[in-house]
Amino acid sequence: MPVGTALGLSGGGGLNAMVGPSLRVLALVTDAFGGRGGIAQYNRDFLSSLATCDQIGDVIVLPRASATPLDTLPSGIRHLPPAQGRLAFSFGALRAAWAHRPIDVVFCGHLFMAPLAAVMARLLHARLWVQVHGIEAWQELSRLYRQSVEAADLITAVSRYTRRRLLEWIGIDPARVKVLPNTVGPRFHPGPKRGDLLDRHDARGKKILMTVSRLARSERYKGHDRVIRCLPQVFLHHPETIYLIVGDGDDRPRLEALASEFAVQDKVRFAGPVAGEELPDYYRLADVLVMPSTGEGFGIVFLEAVACGIDVIGGDQDGSVDPLGDGALGPAINPEDSEELVSAIFAALRKPATNVHGAARFKPQVFSKHVQALVCSHFIARS
Amino acid sequence: MCGIAGIYAYHYAANAVDRAELRRIRDHMAARGPDGFGEWISQDERVGLGHRRLTIIDLSERGAQPMTSADGKLVVTFNGEIYNYRQLRVALEARGRTFRTQTDTEVLLHLYAEKGEAMVNYLRGMFAFGLWDSEKNALLLARDPYGIKPLYYADDGWTLRFASQVKALLAGGKVSSNHEPAGWVGFCLFGSVPEPFTTYQEIRALPAGSTLWVDRVGTREIKQYFSVADTYCNAEPARSPASDEDLQRGVREALLDSVRYHLVADVPVGAFLSSGIDSGALVGLMRDAGQQEIRTVTLAFEEFRGRSEDEAPIAAEIAVQYGTRHTTRVVTEREFRDDLPKILAAMDQPTIDGLNTWFVSKAAHELGLKVAISGLGGDELFGGYPSFRDVPLCVCALAIPGRIPGLGNVARRMLTGLGHFSRLGNPKAAGLLRYGGSYAGAYLLRRGLFMPWDLESVIGVETARLGLRRLNPLRCIESVLKPRPRSAFGKVAVLESSLYMRNQLLRDTDWASMAHSLEVRVPLVDVELLRHLTTAPATYRSKTKRLLANSPRVPLPSKVIERSKTGFTTPIHGWLQRDRRIQQWRQVPELAAGKCPWARRWAFQVAAA
Repeated sequence: MPVGTALGLSGGGGLNAMVGPSLRVLALVTDAFGGRGGIAQYNRDFLSSLATCDQIGDVIVLPRASATPLDTLPSGIRHLPPAQGRLAFSFGALRAAWAHRPIDVVFCGHLFMAPLAAVMARLLHARLWVQVHGIEAWQELSRLYRQSVEAADLITAVSRYTRRRLLEWIGIDPARVKVLPNTVGPRFHPGPKRGDLLDRHDARGKKILMTVSRLARSERYKGHDRVIRCLPQVFLHHPETIYLIVGDGDDRPRLEALASEFAVQDKVRFAGPVAGEELPDYYRLADVLVMPSTGEGFGIVFLEAVACGIDVIGGDQDGSVDPLGDGALGPAINPEDSEELVSAIFAALRKPATNVHGAARFKPQVFSKHVQALVCSHFIARS
Repeated sequence: MCGIAGIYAYHYAANAVDRAELRRIRDHMAARGPDGFGEWISQDERVGLGHRRLTIIDLSERGAQPMTSADGKLVVTFNGEIYNYRQLRVALEARGRTFRTQTDTEVLLHLYAEKGEAMVNYLRGMFAFGLWDSEKNALLLARDPYGIKPLYYADDGWTLRFASQVKALLAGGKVSSNHEPAGWVGFCLFGSVPEPFTTYQEIRALPAGSTLWVDRVGTREIKQYFSVADTYCNAEPARSPASDEDLQRGVREALLDSVRYHLVADVPVGAFLSSGIDSGALVGLMRDAGQQEIRTVTLAFEEFRGRSEDEAPIAAEIAVQYGTRHTTRVVTEREFRDDLPKILAAMDQPTIDGLNTWFVSKAAHELGLKVAISGLGGDELFGGYPSFRDVPLCVCALAIPGRIPGLGNVARRMLTGLGHFSRLGNPKAAGLLRYGGSYAGAYLLRRGLFMPWDLESVIGVETARLGLRRLNPLRCIESVLKPRPRSAFGKVAVLESSLYMRNQLLRDTDWASMAHSLEVRVPLVDVELLRHLTTAPATYRSKTKRLLANSPRVPLPSKVIERSKTGFTTPIHGWLQRDRRIQQWRQVPELAAGKCPWARRWAFQVAAA
């Protein structure tokens, strides 16, 4: 007798149970509703879309990180209390599976949870869907993680780059690895520059280059220093330009020192942390979002900036090329090449913003439709 | 016979088809189709198909591709020949379908409209095509049962690109050129890259006998519609022993039937002629099939003059016997030196073979031929390789010791540890106990170029480690034996047909001939012929090629039948020693050792190119 059956957790016949229109999904995630950051946002968008699929009955979400769930959750979502710590999370997952059996699909929201998710899927005779975001999937992991990912029926990667890096070290039919990019919500749209923000940063009448990200020592790949190093050249030709850095973190003192070192401290403004609600207004302040990063799983800020109608410049060595639309929505430059960066900034400062409709291809409705198509193609059609 | 290409921006986030990229991919294959070119891009610019044409059937402009159905709903880009297209056309016309051209391409469109993807089961021939179904909003890729025609695709997660050649996909400029360790390990082990791998991570071969749908969620699961193993397993050999005459008559009829089909063309069909049974018998059967004028071509090398490897004298006798217009083309070391850069550029995937086909195709092209018949496949069909004897013997002798856990590895380590054991004898001998007890292992020993433990010194530790894990050589070999034929003959025939012939002989024939705008047809690689032979009384297997040699109305001379097998070889061993441009192998001690097989040195050079 299979272990899952013995425990009474079985999905009730696996494939046959999935022929019906209402699949039940157990989603193991780091955080989602009420959480902060890119992964939480992605999970929210994804789980909300999943819950609206015709074929999905309900989605039971077990987050690991402590967060305050929103007062109103999308219909079809059941948000369980977070279970912090590996052991507690594992027991939490078992408990959730027992309480909500039968489970048809186990969704694993982070690669580091893949072993648990793979065991759960096996116990439950359920399908396994693993999501990979970025840097965590770029290096070869241990055999345990590799085999857990290889057991997945469907893997979704946030970008083509992440997909490619994952496929470098796992042995799986590439057809099972699909790309499901970030989406961008309707609150990010073009609009006027907010006067109070311009005043706050002494930016009236000035062109604004902007980078939006955490300023973490562990995330120096974002490329603030690359931008700062080329500012003297930029300011020489475009003296009415400032560089506005949005975000905060433990790397800020180093960047402030670097700005001083290059004698551009007067024109480099640190906006500090910005609340999520204010973020669209900040994007609208800018003329160009520039982030010559080398470590983006996707680079949601490019998408948000494009949706707000401003020009973007990013790197061509990571997932950034996806929100940049391979250069169609903004130049994808070699981030290590300062001349290329300067040229791209010059070009962007010389012309009016053109990205008014650029983010349309990433809008939530299209994202939701694709989630539904993935569910149909991998969990319904094959049954 | 042509070059096909396509781009499908299936993902909602992908950019529209880049026409310039499509043209770069297509035109990289100009030699495959020098007679014409075409492209088609859908109205929404999400799909683009390209084509380079070598005109062989219906030489008119009406046969240009990509070809659209009359209702505009289907578009196809097709490479190959459908030999039974006339019969299919009659059947389709009887169902009320109206044709606009005399091409086999149009048959594909109508057949798909009638049968959907199941159409592939009705086709007799060699083919690879991409067919866009605008109603389904999906692209169908398909490849012939044996994999005579190549089809590669690259899916980056947003956009699928396909082409007849790996290098064409790279020429488009948007496919990653990251290396695939499994492809390199496969090349070093087998001398050719085993499908579905290529030496590039993002590019894969559509396996022979398979179809693949691509829709808005991307590539679906590959569906295999034919396998050689299945044919051997499903065949019910006739139980009643047939008389020699009946057996011979049956084989002759099946062979003649295949040859007749392979002569369908609106241009002259020539033949490669060696001193062996396969090509000689086919030339005789071409004559029996009613072909009036037959042009034949044989390669000769100065180095082989007066030696057993020299094919020219016997080939000339065969040519006289069947009354062909015969040409013996002498290839010199100088010509090899001159052609080497072109050979390496045309070599689509690394391989240790193909030189002979390069030169014989060049010779045929010089004679003005567009189509030539080749005897490729005879050894796989009639058990002509020593492996038909050696592999079962090896398995029989080593099956029991091979099952003792760890013994094979210990023996191998001891033997290789005895100080360059490989220099003293066969470098594969150390692996006998480790591999010899199973069909997959014994086959690896028989066909292997390097052994797994040699790889680190040739391709580096990391590539070897990752590649061996991803390829899993024994599982790769074993996978073609599903289902598993009962007879030893069947098992070896499946291994040879599904690995060596598919990944090496057929692929090399394709790139080396197409580089000279020559279509090579292989009547001995034919599903109907295979089906006939697998249902023939089992006694045919013991008669091997004698049946083939005696199939023409005027059988081949006995000296051809009794001549020991030499293979289709070139004097590359000596050329490798002397050409200064290809001496990197000398830097690797294992390759510089005196008894190192030349194929290993050539493989190293090819990989370094």
